[in-house]
Amino acid sequence: MDSQIKNIHQQLVNKQITCTSLVQEKLNFLKENTHNTVNSLLDKTALELASKVDAKIKKGEKIGLLEGIPFGVKDVYMLQGTNTTASSELLKNYKSPYTATAIQKLLDAGAIPIVKENCDSFGHGSSSENTIFGAVKNAVNPALVAGGSSGGSAVNVAKDFTVFSIGGDTGGSIRQPAGYNKIYGLKPTYGRISRFGLMAYASSTDCVGPLAKSIEDIRIVLNAMSGKDAKDQTSIPSKEIEEKAILDENSVKTIGYFKNFIENDAIDEEVKADFLASVEKIKTTGVKVKELDFFKSDILVSTYYTLAMAETASNLSRLDGTNYGNRIEAENLIETYAVTRSENFSEETKRRIVGGNQVLSQGFSDEIYLKGLALRDQISENFKKDFNEVDIILSPVTPSAPPKIGESLKDPLAMYLSDAYTVGFSLAQLPTLTIPQGTVTGLQITAAKNNEELILKFANFLKDTI
Amino acid sequence: MTVDVLSSIKGAQPSEAVNKLFDVIKNAQPTNNNSLNNVNNNCVSINNLREDVVIESSAIEKQLIIENFPNKKNGYLVVAKVIED
Repeated sequence: MDSQIKNIHQQLVNKQITCTSLVQEKLNFLKENTHNTVNSLLDKTALELASKVDAKIKKGEKIGLLEGIPFGVKDVYMLQGTNTTASSELLKNYKSPYTATAIQKLLDAGAIPIVKENCDSFGHGSSSENTIFGAVKNAVNPALVAGGSSGGSAVNVAKDFTVFSIGGDTGGSIRQPAGYNKIYGLKPTYGRISRFGLMAYASSTDCVGPLAKSIEDIRIVLNAMSGKDAKDQTSIPSKEIEEKAILDENSVKTIGYFKNFIENDAIDEEVKADFLASVEKIKTTGVKVKELDFFKSDILVSTYYTLAMAETASNLSRLDGTNYGNRIEAENLIETYAVTRSENFSEETKRRIVGGNQVLSQGFSDEIYLKGLALRDQISENFKKDFNEVDIILSPVTPSAPPKIGESLKDPLAMYLSDAYTVGFSLAQLPTLTIPQGTVTGLQITAAKNNEELILKFANFLKDTI
Repeated sequence: MTVDVLSSIKGAQPSEAVNKLFDVIKNAQPTNNNSLNNVNNNCVSINNLREDVVIESSAIEKQLIIENFPNKKNGYLVVAKVIED
């Protein structure tokens, strides 16, 4: 089965390449790249780790599958000793005191982190333009956005600057850039991977997830990072997904799609046609296809942003320059908070914090925030009913192709609405995979909670079908 | 309370774009209150908590925490005065 990780592992074991030369090559690509994917290069530590792997191989010792594999880390993950900036002015010089659980698991498996990747600040964005390090450029067409917020991660994988990258997905931030750069990106079931050490955006939907060029690599990295963690009390236990388990492509009998996603003014004609063509191809294989009802796009987007903004306002209230961050001194403590935050947060981040505080405040919370919570419950209920009738839900990733760099910033509302197809799955905490097939920005495959195995099976099926 | 005070952000203003999203919620069909009671409860069972012990941070972690402190002087960490006149 197609796997970049396995290919490289074989080359290392067969001594066709050394880990040091592999890592040096990737570091060189990253250093010279013009897509703006790098916040910081971890060259010194990466080369040290690489030489240790080479020493092991030289001695004839066995190495694990992930050992020596260079990977990228979205710059919102703590990795001890590295700068974790969240692409923000506030944290531009902040050094991680500890390492995120998910990243530690990859380190324990011997994988080598080589870069902290550019992204929308604190996860706030769908284009990777909301960053102090300059907009990330799309891997396929550099005049277009990379997507966000895990844009740097997606481009690095697409361009083979990293073998895989770890992104974060709250409302689509792995799935959409994966789609925009034509690679695989998985948002697992909420809680499957510990969020300890991930800078929180919206704690009730934030998910850690892999971006890679093959389904097998997604499986390998997902297995390595999954697991209940005492340091994240929302984490859940899960079963490892076996390689042969996802080769059985005939487990899916019925799929569904949301007709209102397709019969929508916002969807591009070509995306619509390509999606429906994919559905037709699937029908010819004998898999049944059902049209499903769902909430309107504006309800999905508004529910998501209401809750996400409220949660981010709460989460980012700790960032006031007291214990860390780019403190800007003012006349007194309260002024110092206010000026530090005003000068250091970007416009988009401020927009979301302000919005979040509005909906949480007296006089608004009943009408907006609590209603948003109730809508979220309805959305989850709706999915429960759907998964009694279908095994998999298929959907486009975005209504249209990636916009040009600079365009989204003129119209924040349009950018929010472009998340219509990804946010619903986030709110219901479901596992969802973007595959680079079907439409210009790919397709999303969703299943019931904890059913990542079925999703990977279906992805393999679609590889041969459409 | 104005949004700049609510958010502790000097000069903060509410956003038109964001208010439009909130209007959608305000105008959405009222949900029937036969309480689905927050389907996504993320609570932890009492049997499932870790040991109630302090775990000392490593030396390097403590060092990095201090390194991150924004303002230091003569071996002390500098913070704003909070005692009212």
